[in-house]
Parts: sequence; structure tokens; C-alpha cells
Amino acid sequence: MAEIYQRDVNLEDYDPDLLIELYKTMVKIRSFDENLIRLMQEGKVSGFYHSGIGSEGLSAGSITKLLRDEDYIYYNHRGCNQKIAKGVPLSKIYGDFLGTIEGTTKGLGAGIVHSADPSRGVLGQAGTIGSQLSLAVGSAFASQMKGTDQVTIVYFGDGAASRETMHGSLNWAKLYNLPVIYICENNEYAISCHVSETHGVKAHIADWSEGYGIPNCVVDGNDVLLMHEVTKEAIERAKKGRGPTFIEAQTFRHRGHFEGDPYDYIDKAVLQDWKDNRDPIKNFKKQLINSGLTTEDHLINLGKQVEEEILQAIEIAENAPMPERNRIYEGLFA
Amino acid sequence: MRQITMREALNEALHEEMERDESTVLFGEDVAKFGGINKVTQGLYEKYGAPRVYDTPIAEATIVGAAVGMAITGHARPIPELQFGDFASIAFDEIFNKMGKWRFMHGGQMEMPITLRLPVGIAGGAGPEHSQSPQALFMHGPGLQIVVPSTPYDAKGLLKTSIRDNNAVLFFEHKLLYDMKGDVPEEEYLIPFGKADIKREGEDLTIIATALQVQTSLEAAEELSNQGVEAEVIDPRTLAPLDMETILNSVRKTGRVLIVHEESKTGGSGAEIAAQIQEEALFDLEAPIKRIGSPDVPIAQSIHLEQFYRPNAQQIINAVNEIIDVPV
Ligand SMILES: Cc1ncc(C[n+]2csc(CCOP(=O)(O)OP(=O)(O)O)c2C)c(N)n1
Repeated sequence: MAEIYQRDVNLEDYDPDLLIELYKTMVKIRSFDENLIRLMQEGKVSGFYHSGIGSEGLSAGSITKLLRDEDYIYYNHRGCNQKIAKGVPLSKIYGDFLGTIEGTTKGLGAGIVHSADPSRGVLGQAGTIGSQLSLAVGSAFASQMKGTDQVTIVYFGDGAASRETMHGSLNWAKLYNLPVIYICENNEYAISCHVSETHGVKAHIADWSEGYGIPNCVVDGNDVLLMHEVTKEAIERAKKGRGPTFIEAQTFRHRGHFEGDPYDYIDKAVLQDWKDNRDPIKNFKKQLINSGLTTEDHLINLGKQVEEEILQAIEIAENAPMPERNRIYEGLFA
Repeated sequence: MRQITMREALNEALHEEMERDESTVLFGEDVAKFGGINKVTQGLYEKYGAPRVYDTPIAEATIVGAAVGMAITGHARPIPELQFGDFASIAFDEIFNKMGKWRFMHGGQMEMPITLRLPVGIAGGAGPEHSQSPQALFMHGPGLQIVVPSTPYDAKGLLKTSIRDNNAVLFFEHKLLYDMKGDVPEEEYLIPFGKADIKREGEDLTIIATALQVQTSLEAAEELSNQGVEAEVIDPRTLAPLDMETILNSVRKTGRVLIVHEESKTGGSGAEIAAQIQEEALFDLEAPIKRIGSPDVPIAQSIHLEQFYRPNAQQIINAVNEIIDVPV
């Protein structure tokens, strides 16, 4: 059965810059999301949005200062968490939601999925969740064939893990010993269904990968430093030619599946517990302050800087024009 | 007569048929407790419970494959749902080759009483993989019946017929029609397959339209009537089987034809309908057949651009005027 990943993490062992960067990335992700929801409420953005609030630690931990631009990611359909951690400019992501030509799609609009930034290793995403699992082994195969030490990380939800593509992908990853890392964002629900209602597993989704002989574990995805550690190990394994890793990261969504979802199918007390006691940002902030590394005031200031950066990005995105009608006829072929 | 929405009409049909036949089994993603993402299956889980109503894993190929496996035992009448009709692509083999051909391939020894519900259409910025209308792909596949209702009345009667039918049915529901209200009698009724409905009578030209475009065409026809042009609007209601008789009778009367659908134009269902019209009634035509479909490019996510895909009443009016202007 999958190991529950535990490590003693002492903040003193880390470069303070890394710690601050992790915190800042999480705050940026959350602020981005909150402001996007505001734009939605103002009627500027379509309601097809799945908020990523509550799971920022998983993305910041697995990407920030670990992945290089040349490493590939396939992000999932919840929030813009991984795209932001990978450094896609905020104005470009907002542009994709607002449909202005500032967006990565130059005005086609992208919503959560379909933003892409190949220069930063962000290769796009499928609207059919879980389809990225097949693409990921292809990208990893291409790196291996070329002889680079690039790694590919593929993110997907617990629900997406039940797609048939999961098994096709795991088989390839093991068979060809590919430099690919699976990060299953297990927030327990796929729309209204609890993971226990839709998955036949020993105990964890990660146990599936065990059957393929792929190293795997279950980790607290809301502990940003644990996420950092577990992903660092997986990246080293991939770079040394030792093949894939499967990480099941536990988290919970603070909001419904989509904006407007009554979210009445969950136990309110459970949600409250995640918000009060397992919020990745709140907890890391406490750790940072308790360690004496920084002060509350400093972090508040940092939050303000981030907010400023977000508002500027929105302004750039909003001020860019909408595309002309003939935009839809451009770019089908190279 | 009482007016209900298409969502309610579909829901009533499901309730009535599940009550009537204990071998019906309804499944898909979030269709049970949640009542479906479009709320079409509400109340069924509460009434019939598992195993007759259940939520599946997110695995479209397995959903349809399992439906086939259930159906061919002769013990079950599956009514699976895919959350978006676009995901038929994920289950393409299961639909195209298994639902459509299993019976024939095995010498006709089994039946395929499956009604696969597929919500389709452009609706509010859902993007290229959640907005398509893939009906025509399946006209090319033998063994599949294709139902495309445009009103609450048709939706209810056709869904009841689909569930009772012993052959495979793909049931396409345009998402923008779910909230549309219309007359639906309290009494039970069924609508046969292969029977087009003349939604509006007219002498000057024939508009053949499906799904949401029936409504758009009726709107355009009212406006055209003010200009003195009387359009006949025909809804085939099932693309397979296709009621060419009703269509040809109208074409022979009017001599002018416009076909309108939200499916992209090239290879859309209108291409097949136009081809059949010219095979049977070329010399009754007084003008070339025109088609309106969405552009042959992926559907942009942007709501601003989305408007340029869905055919609108003005486009229909303009096309009709061009057809009418062709001198006899
Ligand atoms: C192939 C496919 N099936 C269904 C959907 C509709 N859908 C979108 S998100 C979602 C639930 C996904 O759950 P999970 O993977 O656990 O991620 P979460 O939303 O919980 O983050 C579903 C069913 C889809 N987009 N693609």
C-alpha cells in the first residue's frame, strides 16, 4: 500500500528566499482566484470556473524553485494554481478569461483550460479531464529520446484519475521508464461524488501505480514544504533515469465545483475543519512567523505587493482589445 | 394546455419510463444524488435508488461499453448520460462500432435497447470541447438512431419512444433548450421515429432546421412573414431515420430550400439532407439549396467570439432573401 510521506521539516534547514517565495506564490494564486471570482460576479468573465482556493500549497510546493522553464507541466482544470507557479504572466491568464488579445490564446479565450505558454513548459490542457495523462507520457518520451534531463509533471484530480487514460499512461511510463511525475490532486470530490463512491482501490488512488511498479506515496498536499520535498525526490529520480513517480496529494476545495454550485453535498463540519486547521497559507504563515524568520507585518506587506501586481495585471488584460471576428479563422494550421 | 420546460419534460419521460419498466437502468457522472449537471435526472435516485440509478466513475468509454454489455444480455434497458455530447469522442468505439454494429456483426442475435443522452450546443463560453454538435458524425454510422428534439413536447414523446425502442438511440439535447417552455399535455403520448414535424406552414420556401435552430428559424420566419415571405419550417426530429417524404413534399411545393443547423457546415447533417433532396427532386428546385451551419473551425471559448458561431435569425433572413431573389 502507498507510503504516507512524512519528513521532519525544519525551516532553519531552508534558504529563506525559498520559503518566502513559496509563501508569495501561494498568496498570489489565492489573490488571483479571488479577483477572478470578482470579475465573474461583475459579469466580465464566463461562469465556467473551478476555483482552486484551498489547494495552493500543492502547486507552489511542487513547482516553485524546482521546475525550470524547460520542464513540462500539464496543469489541471482547478484554478490557475500550476500556471501561476510556473510563471505564466498573470495578465496573460486574465486575458484568456476576459477574451482580450492579451491572453495566451490572443483573444480566443481559454477559461481554465487551453491557456498555454510553451516558452515556460506549459503545454496546454484538455477540456476532457484526464486526457492529459496520455499526452504527458508523450512529452516525457520526447525528452528521453532527445537525451535531455527535462521532466514532465502531470496534474489531475481524483475524478480524472478514473479515466481509462490513467492506466494507459501508467503502463507506458513504467514500460519506457519515462521521466514523468504524476500528481493527483485528491480533493476527495469529483463534482458531487466522493472518491470512495467512484474508485475501486486498496486504500488510495496511488495504490494503482503500485501495480505497475511505480514508486508512489500519499502526501499532505496542503503542507507546502512536504510537497516541495516529495516532488524534489521525484524530480531527482526522473533526472537520474529512474523513471516515473506517482504522488497522491491530499487537499480539499474551499468552494463548490463551479461558481454557483450550491456545494450542499459535503459535510459542512469537514469543510470548516479544512478551512480552519488545514489551510495551506494560514498554516505556513504561522510556521514562518513562529520560526522568527519573518514578521506578520512583513507578510502583510508582501500580500499588498501581490495584490498590487494582480490589479495591474487585470488592468493590462482589460485594457487590451477584443479580437476581430476573423480571429476564429486564424491559427488552425501552422 | 400546461406549459413546462424541456428539462421538466425530459425528467417526466424518465420518471414514467422507469416506473413502467423495471429493467431500465440510468447511470452516468453525477446523475444520482446530484440529479445531473443539467438537472434532468432529478428525483430518480430518490425514487428508484441504486442499482437502477447510480453515479459512475469519470470514464466515458466504460460508461457506454458497459451499457452495451448490459443491453445485450436482454435483462437491462440502459439509459446512460454523458455530461457533454462532445465526450462521445471519448466513447467513439463503444458508440460507433459497439452500439451500432454489435447486433449486426453477430448475426442479429441480440438487441441494443440503449438510449444514450448527449447534451450539446454552444451555451455560454464553455469552449471548444464542451460546445459541439456532433450529430452528423453518427449519421455515417449504421445501426444508430439519432434523435434531436427542439421543443419540450417533442423531447418528452421522443425520449419515451427511445427508451422503449429495442435499438440504439443517441438522444441529443441542446443545452439552451433546457429552460425553454412549451405545451406538454398531462396525458401520455409517444412520438414515432422518422416522422418530421412541420413547425410552420408556408408556400414560398422550405427551411429545414434542427435543435435550437428550429426556434431561431421560426423567429426568422415571423420576421419574413412581415416582409411577405411565407417560410415552411420543418424539423426532422430524428436524423436517423430521416423522414425524406415530408421534406420532399414540402420542397416540391416551395421549390426553394434552406437548411439550418448549429453543427459546423462542412459534413453537417445538412449536407446529407441537401444531397438527398437533389437526388430526388432536383427538377423541382427553383434555386440552389443553401445551408447555414457554424464555421468550420473549433469553437472559441470567448463569449464575445461565440456569437459568431451560432447561426442567428438575421443570417437566416439574409439567406432566405438570396434564395427568394433567384428568378424562376
Ligand atoms: C472526460 C470528461 N468527463 C467529464 C467532464 C466534466 N467534468 C469536469 S470537472 C469534473 C470533475 C473532476 O473531478 P476531479 O478530477 O476530482 O477534479 P476536481 O474538480 O475535484 O478538482 C467533471 C466530471 C470533463 N470535463 N471531461
